[in-house]
Amino acid sequence: MFHQTPLKTGAVLLLATAAVVYAFTTGFFGLELLTEVAILAIVAIALDLVAGYGGMVSLCHGALYGVGAYAFASATVLLGWGGGAGMAMAVAGGGAFAWLIGAVSARTHGIFFIMATLAFGQMAYAYFFDSPLFGGSDGMPGIARLDLSGAGLDLNDSRGYALFCTVLALLAYALAATLLRSGFGRTLVGIRANEPRMRALGLPVWRHKAAAFGTSGALAGLAGALAAQHTMYVSPGLLHWTVSGELLIMVILGGLGTLVGAVLGAGVLVFVKHEVARFTDHWHMVVGLVLIATVLSGGRGIFGQIEFLWGRRGARRPEPAATEGSPDHA
Amino acid sequence: MTADASFWIVQTLNALQLSMLLFLLSVGLTVIFGLLHFVNLAHGSLYALGAFVGVSASAFAGSYWAAFAVAPVAVALVGIVLYVALIRRMRNAGPMNQVLVTFGLIFVFLDLFRLGWGDIPLGMAEPDLFSGRTEFLGIVYPTYRLFIIGLGLVVLAALSLLLSRTQLGAIVRAGVDNGDMAACLGINVERVFFVVFCLGCALAGLAGAVAAPVLSVTTDMGTAILIPTLVVVVIGGLGSLRGAIAGSLLIGFVQTFGAVLAPQAAAVAVYALLAVVLILRPAGLFPARG
Amino acid sequence: MKLSRTWLSAAAALMLAVPATAHAKDYKVGLLLPYSGVYAALGKEIDQGFELALQTRLGEMAGSKIEIVREDTEVKPPVGLAKTRKLILQDQVDVMVGIVSSGVLGAIRDFVHQSGTPLIVANAGNDDATGARCSRFITRVSFSNGQVNRPMGDWLYNKGVRKVYTLAPDYAAGHQMIETFSAAFKAAGGTIVGGEFTPFRTTKDFGPYLTKAQSAGPDAIFVFYAGGEAISFVKQYASFGVADSVPLYGSGFLTSPLYVNAEGPAAKGVVTSLHYVPTIESPENAAFVKAFSAAYGHAPSEYAVQGYDAGQALVEAVKSGATDRAALAEALGKVRFTSPRGPVEIDPATNNIVQNIYIYETVQGDGTLTQKILDVAKAVRDPVSGCQK
Repeated sequence: MFHQTPLKTGAVLLLATAAVVYAFTTGFFGLELLTEVAILAIVAIALDLVAGYGGMVSLCHGALYGVGAYAFASATVLLGWGGGAGMAMAVAGGGAFAWLIGAVSARTHGIFFIMATLAFGQMAYAYFFDSPLFGGSDGMPGIARLDLSGAGLDLNDSRGYALFCTVLALLAYALAATLLRSGFGRTLVGIRANEPRMRALGLPVWRHKAAAFGTSGALAGLAGALAAQHTMYVSPGLLHWTVSGELLIMVILGGLGTLVGAVLGAGVLVFVKHEVARFTDHWHMVVGLVLIATVLSGGRGIFGQIEFLWGRRGARRPEPAATEGSPDHA
Repeated sequence: MTADASFWIVQTLNALQLSMLLFLLSVGLTVIFGLLHFVNLAHGSLYALGAFVGVSASAFAGSYWAAFAVAPVAVALVGIVLYVALIRRMRNAGPMNQVLVTFGLIFVFLDLFRLGWGDIPLGMAEPDLFSGRTEFLGIVYPTYRLFIIGLGLVVLAALSLLLSRTQLGAIVRAGVDNGDMAACLGINVERVFFVVFCLGCALAGLAGAVAAPVLSVTTDMGTAILIPTLVVVVIGGLGSLRGAIAGSLLIGFVQTFGAVLAPQAAAVAVYALLAVVLILRPAGLFPARG
Repeated sequence: MKLSRTWLSAAAALMLAVPATAHAKDYKVGLLLPYSGVYAALGKEIDQGFELALQTRLGEMAGSKIEIVREDTEVKPPVGLAKTRKLILQDQVDVMVGIVSSGVLGAIRDFVHQSGTPLIVANAGNDDATGARCSRFITRVSFSNGQVNRPMGDWLYNKGVRKVYTLAPDYAAGHQMIETFSAAFKAAGGTIVGGEFTPFRTTKDFGPYLTKAQSAGPDAIFVFYAGGEAISFVKQYASFGVADSVPLYGSGFLTSPLYVNAEGPAAKGVVTSLHYVPTIESPENAAFVKAFSAAYGHAPSEYAVQGYDAGQALVEAVKSGATDRAALAEALGKVRFTSPRGPVEIDPATNNIVQNIYIYETVQGDGTLTQKILDVAKAVRDPVSGCQK
């Protein structure tokens, strides 16, 4: 069951503060990294929603993210729509595709669910890779960012865009937290805990699962639209199953089923990868070893471990513990 | 296209050859899952390891057969290390943690291959015994591919006998059916698990050494073969030998004839097939248990 | 490796030879290559070639120092773009060099163009990069996909080949290479009797395609494959015995010296076209092969020479007196020099290189396979297809 504990609130506020401070103190490349973290955090939150709370471990969130990016790109570049309509299209596209996957795969569990999502994700990848309409393997260039100059915001400025993505990541967190506290979220957790019982209670389980997966996909689609605007370019690589794998790494690293952990995991993975890559071309190995160590050490992840220790120690201020792994150390 | 009988015979052999390669890989993966309830995404990396070790062994000894002998043993030894260090602890950790740990292993292996064998793709020569082509039924076919088909059938027969006629086989079947019950009956399931895991790794290594002369040996070959192998295992039904056979044949034939008849759809065909099977039969075509 | 910043100081090395100019400009170069991922081997070759060129021609830059900042694209377009922004905005490089994958080039093109930073492309061959999407800031010293294959159309027809079957991986480069060849071959009077694009990097077994190609009854097969796919293809082609009835031709990457020895005897007799082979007989090439082999312990590939010429082009631009980004871009669009691959120049209309294309056969040499040049198409220039700089 999800509770927005004071520890979680404190951690979110701390991470948000760290992001803002970082945005105003770092250089151009730091802003690139911050934007990447904020965007990936949204997909990681989306993934934690279904994997951590709904028990639906997905290997297609990279594909949902990519579908969102392509939806934004096609709406703005091919159809000539505005940025706002493009964002809506991305959310709808990611959501619809995810709902479909969720509805079709609702009967499968465990490794079979993972494989089903993998299959659907790879189908989407293969489709975009071969599709001349969307630029095939070369992808689609020429994507413009949302025009918020009416509100006095210049998103073409790196800092402006990084902060914009950070705000959206915060909103995504708030949305996910609200959803999980609602009756819908409680039912979702109930299905994970005991699906036959929920079914016996007369609940249309598949419809619930599909709705949850669709919501998650809509969030992933939103992140995809942000990624498309960040790079101003989309390519099929976004949809590859290894991207989904890396997203799962983020969620596990930060702490599955904690929501805050998803954000933390995105930050830690991006910054660790970057720091390691400065010293060696073999960063794959370091990331792999970190992942193995995380799972072996109990699998709670960073924030899960913090919550665990916090629970044992009783009530104290959350700040000292929550700073670990926040992006401001880089 | 002049589609005469010999054309279709050759394509059928192509499909069988691919099926047998997939079978060598998927049978280990599926039995390990059925018995240990362990999802090993690094199975593809073990296959790649077999290929790399094979290239070095055959270059060192100057003979293909060195690769054939050394690769399965070397990969089984690595399997022992993995089993002791990781797998044993991860058995009850749930599919997601297993997926993640072995995903991490893929990354580690990837860089180990780069460090050990460099970034440039490698190749390996066919054995003299099976080089060239064989003529039969009015067709000409590469002898080495016939060897792969034959080897696959031999392994298939051996595994069937092992499972159906030996005590180890009976224990494995009992373990797949109900591991707890088997343990209650005084069977040392732990030791059987260990043996089965090593055997699965050895088969992956063998597949790598057998595939190396046909394909190129690259650092990403393990990740590339992983997905088709997983598809085979899931379509067939996790843990089932019959499922691995059926899945391998299905994928081998769909890929080959998809490439011949509908090349544009070939890339998507396999995934579509997996999706359909999962929707209609969520536990695969031949589930290991009811 | 990526952290390494290399300083090459002409002043220190040649204090006596060149009277050091008092205010020689120092240049900062962003070297953007894949140091991990599937193209890591290519990135390394280009890096080595580039560094060798700067070392060799250090003395010609009148006391200028060149600092190299290396970044890894991981062969991922979004990563490539993030690193490009870093190099241009944060490191403030004067010029960028590298780019192996056309996907990465497509992703960074607009940003590079808008920022007005000169980019020397050292591999990515997408025709559009010097065609419809060309930029006066982007100069390509490697090749274009069309350029490498166009001469083979005429050449094959003149050898008496009339019917050709084509095969290539199903991605942009595969399509461009095959389409250019097919157009040239048809223009010469030949017929394309069939062809297939195989799923990119997922096709391990070419058996079904080879059987199909054979049954189409062509005089020859023309293919483009590179890296691991090239090795698999050439070996499987040989094992099916297709070589006896239908000879294999292709784009020269098929039998690149970088991995031709992994193909083994199967590659013998395959005839392909490429912009460089290590066996070109010229004093420039002899010196280059010698220096490269001495420095890195293996013979250079076409990728190494691309890196080397990226360095040479930079030196030429610096020698012309260009100091800022705009002037460097301007100068790069006009350079001409003698490369190990023969005389080369940049076509001011497209900013693509004009160079010889070598038609060569892979033959058995002393223990290893080597390249025997059969023919040379001189000064091959791409048509100006939609490029408005």
